Amino acid sequence: MSLWVDKYRPTSLGKLDFHKEQATQLKNLVQCGDFPHLLVYGPSGAGKKTRIMGLLRELYGVGVEKLRIEHQTIVAPSKKKIEINTIASNYHLEVNPSDAGNQDRVVIQELIKTVAQSQQIQSSTQREFKVVLLTEVDRLTKDAQHALRRTMEKYMATCRLILCSNSTSRVIGPIRSRCLAIRVPLPSTEEVCSVLTSVCKKEGLLLPPELAKRISEKSGRNLRKALLMCEACRVHQYPFSVDQEVPETDWEVYLRETANAVVSQQSPQRLLEVRARLYELLTHCIPPEIIMKGLVRELLNNCDGQLKTEVSHMAAHYEHRLQLGNKAIYHLEAFTAKFMAMYKKFMEDGLDDMMF
Amino acid sequence: MNKLSVRGKAAASRANDWVNSSFSDLVGESCSLPGQTKGLFQKPELKKARKRKVEDYHISSLLNEVVQRDLDEPWVDRYSPSSQDELAVHKKKIEEVENWMNTHSCSSKGGVLLLTGPSGCGKTATVRVLSEELGFRIQEWVNPTNTEPFSMRSQEEWKTNSMFSRPQQAQFQDFLLRANKYSCLRMRGEDGVTDKKLILVEDMPNQFYRQSSSLHDNLRLFMRTSRCPLVFIVSDSLSGDRSSRLLFPKEIQEELDITCISFNPVAPTTMMKVLTRISTQEAGKSCTKTVIPDKKVLEMLCSGSSGDIRSAINSLQFSSLPDTQSLENDLWRMQKDKPLVSKGKAFSKTNQRKKKSKNKKDEEEEQAIGGKDASLFLFRALGKILHCKRGNPDDFEGDDVSTVPVLSTHLSHHHRETLLVNPELVVERSHMSGEFFNLYLHQNYLDFFSEVEDVDRASEYLSDADLFTSNWTHRSIMEDYSSSVATRGLLHSNSQQVSVGFRPLHKPNWLLINKKHRENCLSAQSLFRNFCLTPVSLQTELLPYLAKLTNPMRNQAQITFIQDVGQMRERNYYSRTKLEALTDKEPGQLENEGEEEDKMVKEEDQGGSEEGLPASQPQPTTSQALLEEEELNIEEYDSD
Repeated sequence: MSLWVDKYRPTSLGKLDFHKEQATQLKNLVQCGDFPHLLVYGPSGAGKKTRIMGLLRELYGVGVEKLRIEHQTIVAPSKKKIEINTIASNYHLEVNPSDAGNQDRVVIQELIKTVAQSQQIQSSTQREFKVVLLTEVDRLTKDAQHALRRTMEKYMATCRLILCSNSTSRVIGPIRSRCLAIRVPLPSTEEVCSVLTSVCKKEGLLLPPELAKRISEKSGRNLRKALLMCEACRVHQYPFSVDQEVPETDWEVYLRETANAVVSQQSPQRLLEVRARLYELLTHCIPPEIIMKGLVRELLNNCDGQLKTEVSHMAAHYEHRLQLGNKAIYHLEAFTAKFMAMYKKFMEDGLDDMMF
Repeated sequence: MNKLSVRGKAAASRANDWVNSSFSDLVGESCSLPGQTKGLFQKPELKKARKRKVEDYHISSLLNEVVQRDLDEPWVDRYSPSSQDELAVHKKKIEEVENWMNTHSCSSKGGVLLLTGPSGCGKTATVRVLSEELGFRIQEWVNPTNTEPFSMRSQEEWKTNSMFSRPQQAQFQDFLLRANKYSCLRMRGEDGVTDKKLILVEDMPNQFYRQSSSLHDNLRLFMRTSRCPLVFIVSDSLSGDRSSRLLFPKEIQEELDITCISFNPVAPTTMMKVLTRISTQEAGKSCTKTVIPDKKVLEMLCSGSSGDIRSAINSLQFSSLPDTQSLENDLWRMQKDKPLVSKGKAFSKTNQRKKKSKNKKDEEEEQAIGGKDASLFLFRALGKILHCKRGNPDDFEGDDVSTVPVLSTHLSHHHRETLLVNPELVVERSHMSGEFFNLYLHQNYLDFFSEVEDVDRASEYLSDADLFTSNWTHRSIMEDYSSSVATRGLLHSNSQQVSVGFRPLHKPNWLLINKKHRENCLSAQSLFRNFCLTPVSLQTELLPYLAKLTNPMRNQAQITFIQDVGQMRERNYYSRTKLEALTDKEPGQLENEGEEEDKMVKEEDQGGSEEGLPASQPQPTTSQALLEEEELNIEEYDSD
């Protein structure tokens, strides 16, 4: 039994549940058997990957669904060995170059070169190019992106690139202009609801529309998250009731408690406790950026409107430092301390105003 | 074939050379090699001739020596202690060693004693003096040296002449067993009534530092048959007593019943006494060639040597040479100037304290002769920054205040009293990289703050400091600035200036957490690869929900991982946040694993370096024994 997310993933462009107009456009794009480099971007859980796989299937047939995980070792010019995992079918290769950290440039150059240099043997039955799918392009270093730009032109004859990323803001201009950019927006709440209902129907379950709506709101229209939530609801309680609690992830709950702790008391001791909780989140694989984001969101819920601009300003400031710096905890803690000081001052001022 | 025989001959003759030269030197190798003596017996007449020559040489050299000795012999040797009273070691310590020697001399079974302590604190002298008094003969291991460079011997020779290729390690083993088994030959003319023997090892074969297990095997073998006491002397280095911990880990000490006695640096008063004794004796000889330094100079030497009596005596000898005297005066005049100026001021009672601090400053200044690089243990260094010692405003007298520039009113909240410590100097003396020092500060600073506003400023400075070192290409340069920003930032932002009393210090948690974060992320990606998700959505979406689902198609590793990482339970929270307390003598350790990448700083905390001294031992003092700090006791601390 696999997860609902995987089980009911649409396999072809025709079966997609939302953004159907875009799906037909994509279908037309590959109709002639060729297509330019693509840059598919959009928030997570919107169905980028599903669309890419549908496109490949349209192009190559069911053969692309036979996937195998390969473990490749690449030797960098500095004789350092880089190990990277790829997912491949006979027709395409999927790789996340940012797995290699700072050596992603080497991965791009070597891996794509080997794929692109090998010509397809039977060009009569197959397409004359292979597809390389790069995920998380926005996490590539600048070096790697420049390497990519050259590679794109050089191997145009034998290879097409599909780049997949959350936003284009960190993709350099030359790459953006070499690709056909396709934005996949999040599905609307109604669309999420209808997907949830149809999945439940296929499972033989009855999902009350109110619950479906609540799930889709809570998931932030992230379809993957919504389906996981729905499945968790199913495990939690069935038959579904309308006012059933929608399970959240543990770390979100934990982060909310942390934010509450910050708001309820401002003292060095409390900051020490908060630090321990931040460490705990980090050991649970939550990336520092996500922690920062979640923390700000929860804090903003808790504080007065006058403070909100200032808090978000500080958050942006420290988030920037988080990206530049080395050790995340310094910046997370500095932000927390800043908020504490700001909030305390605000409360004290408010108290003074009430007195007089 | 022919070639080989020729080479064999050459080797033989070379071996002869080796024998001859060594014989003429009359160097008594403690472990004689059987292969060489053969050559001697074949040529008796040669031996005789040589012997005569040797005697001649000896007589002449003896005559020369009498004249030369006074000038050339180091004072360290000349005034080496001959009785317990002359030892510059604490009475209790001597007693401890003496007791051990007594108990292990009468019993037929020998034992192992390990002496540790900083260099020049009198470990060897104690053993020598005591064995003299208790009638032990010392048999000492000296690392054998190869007289010929390696390149001169070919591969075959190595094979045929097996005695050369014997590793030090094996020789050491032989030495131990032989020294243990056979008593010394009794020579005529020697009124040695004693056949009590003590084996002394000061010069560790280098191999043992790489493979301490072979040392342990040797010791086990020794313990089984041991008949005489064995004493190891290991000096502490700047980075704490790592070598002794490496060679003799706790388990081995327990297993083999090794007694460990650690020595402290020589106390300044004792050192002063010894130096005065030596200088008066020198003066008594009324040798015109030496100039006896005055008391002030002695004090300076004494404080500069930071408890190393050997270096103190050496520098005393050097500074009493007439040639250096003039040069030295020049060097010292510059330093003496300042205290003289301060002396010119009024000697009021309130000045007493100020003077003291002034004095302290002088000591911190570099010395012309015999100044040893002072070092601070990490615990002290952190304490200096975190406790934030500032001058007392009452100390200033009326006219002083006017000369000190005052901040204008809108900046008056930035006004701080003068610092008593120099942060950069503290970091430098802690022998740690600035980055690592910052981590230690970050781990501990919150305990010393009482106001959130101050914490806010302090954490901002720490954040700034981190930015400085973010780029690895200029990290080595920026590191100093970064630690400067962090330390000064912390000192400045702590506006309250209240004495917080004792606070336990902890090791930074971040390295461990960061390592765990990376490991968990990697294993998450490798375990759940078949979901084909990007790391972020895998870690924040899939894993937490997988923990909530009953999805059977998972292997054992995945199940345990999800239970550990996907779920957040309070139980984990408490078990993980238990902090490792920093002990007094703990050296700061930092291991850089060939990092060359930007964000992948691979620093690992060397865990398990917690060492405890036996309860009988007093807590070691810093090498800067003169610096007065409040005495801090270390206790275990749990966060909850």
